[in-house]
Amino acid sequence: MSGHDSKYFSTTKKGEIPELKEELNSQYKDKRKDAVKKVIAAMTVGKDVSSLFTDVVNCMQTENLELKKLVYLYLINYAKSQPDLAILAVNTFVKDSQDPNPLIRALAVRTMGCIRVDKITEYLCDPLQRCLKDDDPYVRKTAAICVAKLYDINAELVEDRGFLDALKDLISDNNPMVVANAVAALAEIQESSSRPIFEITSHTLSKLLTALNECTEWGQVFILDALSKYKAADAREAENIVERVTPRLQHANCAVVLSAVKMILQQMELITSTDVVRNLCKKMAPPLVTLLSAEPEIQYVALRNINLIVQKRPTILAHEIKVFFCKYNDPIYVKMEKLEIMIKLASDRNIDQVLLEFKEYATEVDVDFVRKAVRAIGRCAIKLERAAERCISVLLELIKIKVNYVVQEAIIVIKDIFRRYPNTYESIIATLCESLDTLDEPEAKASMIWIIGEYAERIDNADELLESFLESFPEEPPQVQLQLLTATVKLFLKKPTEGPQQMIQVVLNNATVETDNPDLRDRAYIYWRLLSTDPEAAKDVVLAEKPVISDDSNQLDPSLLDELLSNIATLSSVYHKPPEAFVTRVKTTQKTEEEDYPEAGEQSYSDSPARVADSGASPPASSANPQHPASRQPAAPAALPDLLDLGMDNSGSAIVSVDQPASPAGPPLPVVLPASSGQGLQISAQLIRRDGQVFYSMMFENNSQVPLDGFMIQFNKNTFGLAAGGQLQVPQLLPGTSASTLLPMVLFQNISPGPANTLLQVAIKNNQQPVWYFNDKIYFHVLFTEDGRMERSTFLETWKSLPDSNEVSRDFPASVINSVETTLDRLAASNMFFIAKRKHANQEVLYLSAKIPRGIPFLIELTAVIGTPGVKCAIKTPSPEMAPLFFEAVETLLKS
Amino acid sequence: MGLVFSRLFSSLFGNKEARILVLGLDNAGKTTILYRLQMGEVVSTIPTIGFNVETVQYNNIKFQVWDLGGQTSIRPYWRCYFPNTQAIIYVVDSSDTDRLVVAKEEFHAILEEEELKGAVVLIYANKQDLPGALDDAAVTEALELHKIKSRQWAIFKTSAIKGEGLFEGLDWLSNTLKSGGG
Repeated sequence: MSGHDSKYFSTTKKGEIPELKEELNSQYKDKRKDAVKKVIAAMTVGKDVSSLFTDVVNCMQTENLELKKLVYLYLINYAKSQPDLAILAVNTFVKDSQDPNPLIRALAVRTMGCIRVDKITEYLCDPLQRCLKDDDPYVRKTAAICVAKLYDINAELVEDRGFLDALKDLISDNNPMVVANAVAALAEIQESSSRPIFEITSHTLSKLLTALNECTEWGQVFILDALSKYKAADAREAENIVERVTPRLQHANCAVVLSAVKMILQQMELITSTDVVRNLCKKMAPPLVTLLSAEPEIQYVALRNINLIVQKRPTILAHEIKVFFCKYNDPIYVKMEKLEIMIKLASDRNIDQVLLEFKEYATEVDVDFVRKAVRAIGRCAIKLERAAERCISVLLELIKIKVNYVVQEAIIVIKDIFRRYPNTYESIIATLCESLDTLDEPEAKASMIWIIGEYAERIDNADELLESFLESFPEEPPQVQLQLLTATVKLFLKKPTEGPQQMIQVVLNNATVETDNPDLRDRAYIYWRLLSTDPEAAKDVVLAEKPVISDDSNQLDPSLLDELLSNIATLSSVYHKPPEAFVTRVKTTQKTEEEDYPEAGEQSYSDSPARVADSGASPPASSANPQHPASRQPAAPAALPDLLDLGMDNSGSAIVSVDQPASPAGPPLPVVLPASSGQGLQISAQLIRRDGQVFYSMMFENNSQVPLDGFMIQFNKNTFGLAAGGQLQVPQLLPGTSASTLLPMVLFQNISPGPANTLLQVAIKNNQQPVWYFNDKIYFHVLFTEDGRMERSTFLETWKSLPDSNEVSRDFPASVINSVETTLDRLAASNMFFIAKRKHANQEVLYLSAKIPRGIPFLIELTAVIGTPGVKCAIKTPSPEMAPLFFEAVETLLKS
Repeated sequence: MGLVFSRLFSSLFGNKEARILVLGLDNAGKTTILYRLQMGEVVSTIPTIGFNVETVQYNNIKFQVWDLGGQTSIRPYWRCYFPNTQAIIYVVDSSDTDRLVVAKEEFHAILEEEELKGAVVLIYANKQDLPGALDDAAVTEALELHKIKSRQWAIFKTSAIKGEGLFEGLDWLSNTLKSGGG
């Protein structure tokens, strides 16, 4: 083989990215535009073109609107992955936000809001401020929305820069579109804040009402939603507001109609005049009816909302029941909802019509629908006393059709009717008994058995009927078994003859000895004891008068109903669940009393250099510290699940449960598992060093609906072999509560091979939820031990003894040393000890030392001009592979 | 032969845009110079967080002038703009004597860059209108320009506010580029 063959390994083809790069830097505008289009195309099909960031950003300053839009689109996508380089776009944003063309100004401010990079948000405040006061309404309304987006990124910044006040000013804007967007922005900000930000005053009220008539349909929705939260001062004001809003009911957009209905319903609470209320109810009916002529999906949404409205104010649609009659081609979900509303609207006046409908539905083909129709008849019978007889005759007619599921459903509702109207309709029992053998569903069987037991004295062959069921007693479902037991007892008490006595023996025996079902066994024992001690008392208990029932199925609790009504036209009113049941919102936490903690922490650190001088290599022993990991091993639980699936034998103290006293303190911890990904469980955590020991400081917040307990933690293999050195102490967490804990950590337990890194993978488990995994960062400086101080001579010797290849250096262009003393104090607090300093030209050169466990020293030289950004850090260490981690730590410490 | 070649070259060059970077510490006057060159007037500027790019036509040469922000935080990203650069205009605030050292260090760091090896260097000793501004000789000394080897460079006293010296510098630049110095 000759040397020429090497040419086969070097290709002249450059690949797509370098080619695009070249085209992006072309001197011809057309070529650049084409290149950007290619980049966007690649981006949309999922190719990673983030490496072209600067090249694309360089095309940003152009008069060509199309090209500019494309570059903006690219920026929105990739700014997050290139946060440092995103700063290069700032100047262009600033320029564009002053462009003579309002479209470009608005485009710039909108794009700025979409770029969620902390480093540049601050630079974007000035342009945003300008745009909020722009001459062009389109720019102002875009800026208003941008404020809401910025609030989500950095709430404090928004408040400091007075953007909230600027937004509130925009409510008085003369352009309705701007008003609507300002309202939308404020409403969104309000949702994520716990304190009142957006409150309508009588002044803003009139502005909103004026804007309402002029703005777009979606703007109207925002304003109406805001108005529905306004508490009017008195009935008069409420009436006035409602009067201004009623024309919205005629709007073609159903969202506007529903929002208007919501708003009117809310204000109606305050209106006392019955005339006005009646009038309003009359006015709300037609728009609601109109909603039902839309497509089925909208109908469904309307029906779910109407369901709520009808529960609150049945009068609104009392005369409109006909529109809820099901059409043969309605989708099943619409039919079901309509049935529900028909039951709610059924009255003595319209029951005949309604019954005719129900009867018809009961002969349709869809089994679920038919069942619901039969049940609806029963519910009407229970609801309307005067119509009960008619309902029952319809049910009997249906039973005669002998369609199995119709019969069974009818028997279930007839049982309820018997309970509602005792001693009235028992004559039909005979008819029911005819269908006895067709019953195969537990609920129907149980109902029938209940009827037999309840009316045993009137059914001549009650004992025979029951006996037929008893044969299969052990195979029956629990529901039927329970009813059989009770019915047999009733029968015995009513007809204490020989037949029933034998039966009761069999049943009690079956229900106590033969069964595994504790409910059944308990009930059987109670009956047994009752019967054997005092049969008369048993009679009083078992055959006692029953309270009369009413139809309250599918009725919502009044407080829940009010909450849902205030959320009309949202998902909440469709689900019939309060919003917090299915959405978790991350509230911006306000920093409050935590302010004094960092200082206290610093204090305890700063005296450590003096104290630790004599403490030797091991951390100072104190009662708060856990024992040495080796001595813990036997105590570790043996057969716990291996959360991280490491195949470990659990002999290490990796999994631990709860019992160490917790002492939480310090600045707020970074969130490692947000509530949104932890099904409501939020975990904040950080490694810290305290009293010569590494701890994992954690806070658990339970935002879910259930109490959580049995917390356990496990750490994956990591560079330093960090693992739990004690037990994770978290008490049971009730919903809405939180708990903090300090978990002592040990080193060198499960060391991961490979290059050194700061990744700490953690798994958390509790008894209620799946295992949660998250990544945290190991802050290298928490490993610096208290015995890292070196004598000058030792320092010099060590420096000389290490080969030059062990020297690594790094520049921190963004770090500044403003005062040598403060910096040294801060470094000393993290166990980086000052040794000497000298001056070189105008630069200060500082020498320090630090040590990490296993006695690995770091000799440090920091060079900087005081007060000028740019610090050079050179280190010498026997473990140069740790250098990147070390530099990261130093940079963090210099910054803090 | 040489004459024919250079003519051919200059006609080629007439269509081509020369890529020029305007560098320098923050508050040196880079953006003001850019717009003075492009529009001939003084615009009010704010610190450039990022870049400005404009095309300036002068002496039959189109210059694509990139004005990069001089803040410490942005200086690391200058290198993104180095490839294919024919010339650098390095702007120095002649009145900011305290930071001449920093200006010198940044300047020599740029000259070290491999990608800028062929670029000619034009230095503007700017802000001559301010009292206490060093003259070109003093700036030459402070920047240690005599250390520059194997590269064409020139220094001009300028005042962007008054518009003095800028086009003299550009004359030099266009002539140097035309003669193949870039």
